[in-house]
Amino acid sequence: MASIAANDALPVPAAAPAAGEGLRSRRLVLSHFWLAFAAFLIACVLGAWQMWARSPLDAPAHTASNYFRSVTLHGVAMAYVLSTFFIMGFGYFVAETALGRPLKWLKAGWWGFWIGVVGVLMAALAVISGKASVLYTFYPPMTATPWFYIGLVLVVVGSWIWCGVMIAEMSFWKRDNPGQAVPLAMFATVANAVMWLWTTVGVAAELLFQVIPASLGWTQMVDVGLSRTLFSWTLHAIVYFWLFPAYIAFYTMAPREAGGRLFSDTMGRLSFILFLLYSLPVGMHHLFMDPEHSSGFKFLQMVLTAFVSVPTLLTVFTIAASLEIAGRMRGGKGLFGWVAALPWKNPMTLATGLAFVMLFFGGGGGLINMSYGMNAMIHNTSWVTAHFHLIFGGTVVIMYFAIAYAIWPSLTGREFASLKRVRWQLWLWFIGMMVMTIPWHGLGLEGQWRRVAAFDYTDPIIATWGPWVIVSLIGGMILLVSAVLLIWNLLPAGLGRRTVQVYRYAEAVHPPGRVPAALNGFALWNVLVAVLMLAAYGWPIAQFFADPPPQAVIHHMDRGID
Amino acid sequence: MIDHGATERRILKTELRWAVFVGFLVLMILGAIVYAGISMHINPPSNREFIDPKTLHLSGEFTEANLGTSVDTDGQVTTRVIATQFSFVPQCVVVPANRTVTLRFASPDVIHGILVSGTNVNTMVVPGYVSQVHTEFTRTGDLLMPCHEYCGFGHSQMLATVRVVPPEQFRPGPDGKVTCG
Amino acid sequence: MNVGDPIEQSALDRRWRLWASAAVGGILVVGAVIGMLVLPNFQRENAALDLWTAICRAVGITEGSPAYRQPITTAQALPVSQVAWDPDVLDILANANPQQGAQIAAQVCVACHGENGVSSVLEYPSLAGQSSAAIYKQLSDYRSGARVHELMTPYAAQLTVPQLASVSVYYGRFAQQATGLGGRDLPGDDYIVKLAREGDSARALPACDSCHVPGAGGPIETPVLTGQNLQYLAAQLRAYKTGDRQNDVYRRMRDISEKLTEQEIDGLARYYRGVLF
Repeated sequence: MASIAANDALPVPAAAPAAGEGLRSRRLVLSHFWLAFAAFLIACVLGAWQMWARSPLDAPAHTASNYFRSVTLHGVAMAYVLSTFFIMGFGYFVAETALGRPLKWLKAGWWGFWIGVVGVLMAALAVISGKASVLYTFYPPMTATPWFYIGLVLVVVGSWIWCGVMIAEMSFWKRDNPGQAVPLAMFATVANAVMWLWTTVGVAAELLFQVIPASLGWTQMVDVGLSRTLFSWTLHAIVYFWLFPAYIAFYTMAPREAGGRLFSDTMGRLSFILFLLYSLPVGMHHLFMDPEHSSGFKFLQMVLTAFVSVPTLLTVFTIAASLEIAGRMRGGKGLFGWVAALPWKNPMTLATGLAFVMLFFGGGGGLINMSYGMNAMIHNTSWVTAHFHLIFGGTVVIMYFAIAYAIWPSLTGREFASLKRVRWQLWLWFIGMMVMTIPWHGLGLEGQWRRVAAFDYTDPIIATWGPWVIVSLIGGMILLVSAVLLIWNLLPAGLGRRTVQVYRYAEAVHPPGRVPAALNGFALWNVLVAVLMLAAYGWPIAQFFADPPPQAVIHHMDRGID
Repeated sequence: MIDHGATERRILKTELRWAVFVGFLVLMILGAIVYAGISMHINPPSNREFIDPKTLHLSGEFTEANLGTSVDTDGQVTTRVIATQFSFVPQCVVVPANRTVTLRFASPDVIHGILVSGTNVNTMVVPGYVSQVHTEFTRTGDLLMPCHEYCGFGHSQMLATVRVVPPEQFRPGPDGKVTCG
Repeated sequence: MNVGDPIEQSALDRRWRLWASAAVGGILVVGAVIGMLVLPNFQRENAALDLWTAICRAVGITEGSPAYRQPITTAQALPVSQVAWDPDVLDILANANPQQGAQIAAQVCVACHGENGVSSVLEYPSLAGQSSAAIYKQLSDYRSGARVHELMTPYAAQLTVPQLASVSVYYGRFAQQATGLGGRDLPGDDYIVKLAREGDSARALPACDSCHVPGAGGPIETPVLTGQNLQYLAAQLRAYKTGDRQNDVYRRMRDISEKLTEQEIDGLARYYRGVLF
């Protein structure tokens, strides 16, 4: 199918968007990336220890309070620090390189960064001191020290500044380039910023009106159903916030790195718009097993959830077609010959291939989570842990690595000393993730539940799980090795000779000239998001005020180390 | 000069064909779920029944002496369980095999959750609500019922047993209750 | 899509608006109709419901599932403890007068519970270090008869609820200074320390410390055990074990004590007293 485009003579490329001499945001981007990867390395150490603690083997320092402290820190570091700071840093890079002009609001970016740093330190100290062992989900009545929540609010405030900068940079560019199509990488980054603003409304309302007043002792009661509902508003879309950079890399980086072109720029725009539309009104699928919502609204949100698979399926097709173009341009023949012809030594191409494999398994599992009948089989079991580790820890994070590898030379002015070590790191991450999560899927189906510090392996049912947990532990250790390799690769010690590089994004087979306003901005889509959110969450939230349920007493969990 | 329009149209047509296929796939999945809902009455536990967690133990259905399995006046088997920090009350419940059982849960303190290993029984237990699961156990024996939502430092030790007995061994006492002991 | 002409462009934009809205609206309507009308209509026969009730259940206005009957409840059981942590009780504690509590304490409590809430009579508990909620819970239970003691029952019966609250708040406030022992100071043999701090999964025994430490996030009324009198602690665990004491809400302590051996009871009591003999 895709070969038709490849066999045609390709249109003459438009002038490639190029960065000026030296990036103005170089230090800003690097600061974000290093904070993200430092948090990532710590979280990998904790994650491997957690697998050890859950296994039949004796882990050091294995106590319940250490375990839940560790899980909280692992979750916060991976889900809030690695993701948010990586996305912000990458966003600044895209704004400067894809638009081909220096960042206008660089100073605001630094403000966002330092506010976020203060927040991270506050939250991290709260968790390390043992006063916030509540996991990274905000589910009162259990309530941590206010420092934890206020710290995380600051991280969100920092990210809001980023959103403002991204939206502003795009509108400045549009003003200066009337009628031109916003480059796809920037269009997608702004789509993510707009989505993130919508996404954070739920958790911000929960924290500001429910959780922080409770943790400060101002209120003694909480409407638990409402807080779960507000958190669910954020809980699914946040995953797509994390996912966006991976998709931006699929569309705007991988095709060129593989030596080809993007099959369809329009499809890219549509996919990002569909993510904006359908990742928000679906959060209730995290509450399928909850008593506070009716089956009718759960069904409605399940239908909307089904449509969030559409942009992913479109992406898989478009990117496969783009890679096919690359493979055929490199001389690949036959039905699958182009796959072998791809430059698998290129880190971005390799990471894209590995990410697709993990996406296949993770996405398949997601379809089961989504089915509101089958969800009962796996809810809060290791299956779910396996699912989001494959999708976020696997597909998304391996693309974070690939992005870092792709833009590192243009940021640092040096090439990698060993591309072989870069490839090893990617392969180890893939292998470790598969080895860790495949047993989790099986154990989840057998009913192994999440979030426990220790299993009683003398129980006959649980005893049969032991060997599989050890396999997962081995996977976790492989991941840890890969994480250390990543840091080695990125540090000056892992870099080689000097280079002057300007990052270039992939061009489309048919570069966009003028595009409809709907594919070049977000006005229409914001209105439709509002309609969808009103339909999906309007009554489910209003019901807590129209017919208030009994509230529960706050349980303070701010015990120090004993 | 290449006809850009023609290339673009051809690409869009290919993409459109794929999009139709994707739409078909999504509808197939949704169709299967609707079919299960109609033919097997499958719904997620969505009771929306309020109960005050603060006074749960003072009166009514979830007082201590009323917990466990009982056969109601209309012959329906109902099992009532409290999930609290850090235990289930009672710690063992008996249910009959091959008969519809209604499991009802409530929490007086924080959020808990339960699953019964090897079955589709799964629900969150949210303070403020009665969580209700209708099910039919098919295999006899002792099943694990752990708390699957983090509820505090004793969470890992929060476990109960569901004892599924053959229908002929399920004999309610004069008060309609059946216990493990 | 090379459309430069402004009129053509705006016509194209209109088309996008129309079709995008139609697609989004269509999905919403289909989802709502199936989830809120079709499914309850097909499921209601199983529960012998009329269509209206089934729809109300499906959208969450009425409780219950559209596919199953709601069970009948005919419970008339009596509670063991009358204390509930509702806003009224929390208000009573918040507004209690510690000066009044100090007077009552000086007249009544000091004889057995010591000057600073540290009891020298080892059968009686020290009140030092306990939260006002923990003390209030026990005083109320003595007053209602949920817990019985030859001395405490008549004392508690003489006091009004605000007076109980004032005594509780009095001890709850100054008590924090009175305790010197922390969790780190407690000696004990490894097995007992592990039981106290980590519990025993094989017997579904949660760690004592998962509730009995300030700020552990357990039930509000949980007392602190650190430094408590050995004889008192051991006697209470045995009373729970035999069922002589039943004022623990939802059997929390009875179910735990039933699983403990006599040696474990003595070992834990020694551990929390902070002695090794």
